Amino acid sequence: MKNKFFIALLSILSTSAFGDSFLDSIERMKWGDLDVVWIEDSKFPRFNAAIYFEDGSLSDPFSGLTQGTFDQMASGTSKESQREISEFFDFYGASLKHSVTHEYSVYSVQGLTKDIEPVMSKVCELFTDAQFPKKELTSYVSRSKSQLKNLVTSHAALADRIFRQVSLTETPYATPVDGTLATFDKLNPVGLKERLSELNKTKKVLYLTGPSEISKMKEIIAKKCHWTSKSTFKNLELKKPSSQSAIYLVPVPGANQAQIRIGRYVIPQEIKGKYDHFNFLSGFLGGGFTSKLVQELRVKRGLTYSAGAYVSMQRDYGRAGIMTFSKNESASEVISIIRDVFQDITAKKFTNEEFKHQQGHQIGGFAFGFEETNAFLSQIMLYDHQGRDLQELVKFQDLIASLTPEALAQANLEAFPWDRLTIVVVGDKSLEKSLSRIRPVRILKYQDFL
Amino acid sequence: MKFWLVLFALLLGCSSVKEKQSLSENIHIDVEELKLDNGLTALIVHNPKLPIFSLQLFYKVGGKNEVPGITGASHFLEHMMFKGAKKYGKNTMDFIIEGSGGSTNAYTTNDQTVYYENLPSSELEKIIDIESDRMENLLLDVDDFNKEREVVLEERKMRYENSPRGQLYLEMMQNLYQGTPYGRSVIGDIPDLKSVTREQIYKYFKRFYAPNNATLILVGDVSVRKAKSMIQEKFGKIPSSPSVEEAHKELKDQDFVPKWTTDQVVAKKGESPNPLFMLAFPTYKAGHPKGYALDVLSSILGSGKSASLINEYILIEKPIATSMYAAHQSLDKSGFFFIGGELVRGVKLNEFRKNLLKRLTGFCDTEITERSIQKIKNNYLTGLYSGLDTNAGLGSFLGERQIVFNDWRFYKQELDMYEKVSVDDVKASCKEVFVKPSVFVSVWNMHK
Repeated sequence: MKNKFFIALLSILSTSAFGDSFLDSIERMKWGDLDVVWIEDSKFPRFNAAIYFEDGSLSDPFSGLTQGTFDQMASGTSKESQREISEFFDFYGASLKHSVTHEYSVYSVQGLTKDIEPVMSKVCELFTDAQFPKKELTSYVSRSKSQLKNLVTSHAALADRIFRQVSLTETPYATPVDGTLATFDKLNPVGLKERLSELNKTKKVLYLTGPSEISKMKEIIAKKCHWTSKSTFKNLELKKPSSQSAIYLVPVPGANQAQIRIGRYVIPQEIKGKYDHFNFLSGFLGGGFTSKLVQELRVKRGLTYSAGAYVSMQRDYGRAGIMTFSKNESASEVISIIRDVFQDITAKKFTNEEFKHQQGHQIGGFAFGFEETNAFLSQIMLYDHQGRDLQELVKFQDLIASLTPEALAQANLEAFPWDRLTIVVVGDKSLEKSLSRIRPVRILKYQDFL
Repeated sequence: MKFWLVLFALLLGCSSVKEKQSLSENIHIDVEELKLDNGLTALIVHNPKLPIFSLQLFYKVGGKNEVPGITGASHFLEHMMFKGAKKYGKNTMDFIIEGSGGSTNAYTTNDQTVYYENLPSSELEKIIDIESDRMENLLLDVDDFNKEREVVLEERKMRYENSPRGQLYLEMMQNLYQGTPYGRSVIGDIPDLKSVTREQIYKYFKRFYAPNNATLILVGDVSVRKAKSMIQEKFGKIPSSPSVEEAHKELKDQDFVPKWTTDQVVAKKGESPNPLFMLAFPTYKAGHPKGYALDVLSSILGSGKSASLINEYILIEKPIATSMYAAHQSLDKSGFFFIGGELVRGVKLNEFRKNLLKRLTGFCDTEITERSIQKIKNNYLTGLYSGLDTNAGLGSFLGERQIVFNDWRFYKQELDMYEKVSVDDVKASCKEVFVKPSVFVSVWNMHK
């Protein structure tokens, strides 16, 4: 069978301009009240079913409930033990994954096409009959707490966790998705079953890739999953972040490097209609070896091994940030250089060559986003969640080509206004003195963020 | 076992499958080969599905080729290879590649160094020109060299000193292979990184970075005829290294055999409040027939939630560990089987080590069944699908076999070997390896 996805794509890429035709490779269907999005892909005899739930950790009465529900869904049903369940999926070479964000959750199943029937039937059993046995839950809580306490050995992950909580402190998005030392003990079988019951009723969209045999799934889901799909999403309206006057220093033992996080949260009104501007900005700042920050920090000065930038959005909130690290003694220099880079971009102190280079990078690299169908499908899922029209994706290359240096400067000013950026440094206690030359320093205990 | 056949039939439009007796007879991947007079091997696979390609240049040089004083040379060069060559000048390569929408990077192991680029098809000629330019005329600018030394030292901190897992792996390798080239750090010892000179690195470069020590892999939407012509034109003029063959011959297999004969227990002071451990046993070099059974054994013990170690130590009411894994690592000159993980606080390390050793030998009788082996084979299949989903994945698959076994077709033998692995084979390997002397390394903040 010919592969519609690739045929559509090739015809577009060969003209170097995207048209509407690639949307034809995406089939949208209704299976009962379940929305289904399918991209046919016959490259291998395998399938991927990603179930999107329009519900995430914002609904949790305490941190980690939704995450714990998905984590422990395969820990036992009324018929089978945890090991029997894992033995079943492992035998078929099927993999189960899930991710929980504040606004939505995704449960993914991958397996061989020939095994759709047994694998998806078993997945439905988990959704309808998960028992969350006490013994397995006790073990999960013990392990989760142990791992979280040990986070102090991973300074980068610790910096990410603390930066989220500090930079989003005025919002409900500050709460960690995956639980805290104080909330793990609140998990119990009754609460997890109730949360699963809610997820079974919440609005879902099934994103599928695979060959045409994937249609077998329709009957299995209708008969065995007993899902209903009703939207209960409650929009939140956040205020713009307030100004920041301090650097937050988090001392950790044995730190011979400083992890640096700079950024803020953004609200939809700031981003809407300008996703491509901000996408371009994050690439210009931190996308690849030739990005501004990598050139300034690593290539010109040898201060770091890596530097990255992002401006990302869910539906009601987003985040703009910089992540890098350096020697302890270079931390304040790195922060100052980042500030200067922001100022230079806002003042349009970059060359036309640099600007054109980033345009070439994003336009030329567009095709790689389609090499793995699952990655392409994930992008569609995010667009759907954000409520964006896929026509934006169709026109991506044209949008990037039409951007101006003025638009880049403006995007930078809007995303990274220095006085509203939160700065978190995880490193040695001795950094306090040098950092205080940039902003007053507030010391935070890492234990308060676990 | 027909699933193996389907895999390769669907992987490449130009592949063909005819059902015959054995797997190796059934699989055919259309690889165009080119061997230049100067020794360069090139493998080209045409995949027209998207107007992109992946180019990978495998050099048969890595940590094992270094000597005290220049440890980390291969990795240092990995950084310097992006700093420019004669024709294209200083620090232009990244701009050319990324400016056209591509990406590039490299990695260094004990045995090899691989440089790769993923690019739109229109950039083929340019990237072949760039790769040949840096093979022939690398600049190694002194200012860049000294600046990059600082970046490498920061990378080392990130990977080893600041990473308990990196620290653990380094400690394990240094003890397992003490006194052999595999016992050195791939990223380099700090004194060497601080003192190594541009001249030392240049000499190392001229010896190992030559066409007769390299394999070029090209997968994607490229014209095979044009690609061959370009490779011939750009690489054909580069002289081969007169001393590289001798350098490889100097490294004898016996020089990589661990020297110790009794159990080694190493306690390393680190920052981790939870003890991390690795237990390693010497095994066989890549391609050894017994290695395939050991691969299967490692998956039975450590892969997936149903794995033996996961259910013995983690998914129990009072967990002893929060993570466990097992793997069989086949290197060019040696191999080792290792088990590692993170333990919960309060576990007594010595008791745990003894318990683990006892249970491992017990697993040989209880965990190896027809079903558990079939489960692992099924998982290898889905893993292969994922690994071969992209041009880069297929390129890596072919390049690894060409560089290690000097024949990309070796995957056929590997598939046959996996297909033939039996319960008796895995049990025999299990009983053989777990009675050998071992190295047990732990990293913990309670160690002195």
